[in-house]
Amino acid sequence: MNAAPERVIVDGTSRLRFAPHVKFRHDETRGRWVVLAPERLLLPDDLAVEILRLVDGSLSVNGIVDDLARRFEAPREVIAADVTQMLQDLVDKAVLAP
Amino acid sequence: MKWTTPRIVEIV
Repeated sequence: MNAAPERVIVDGTSRLRFAPHVKFRHDETRGRWVVLAPERLLLPDDLAVEILRLVDGSLSVNGIVDDLARRFEAPREVIAADVTQMLQDLVDKAVLAP
Repeated sequence: MKWTTPRIVEIV
């Protein structure tokens, strides 16, 4: 029996992208951004969309936080904590991958 | 812009 795959831990140096078979796109019918995953539809709010639009496999998590910290009024550590937690949750759900 | 904790609703 195979061991469970090792959990990927998201930190500031992580570079993430959408997993194969997962699509992040603007749904014209709903007029909002959606994440289409196998058997699941994810509806991100405006802040989650801002984060996901920066997830392209090139920016590190630190880079994403830097971008957001320039545009949003909040301490960088607050943004970093929220972003890291959201991305970790999506990695755990196999929506995002290294 | 004001920062709020990001939320994602999951539903198919």
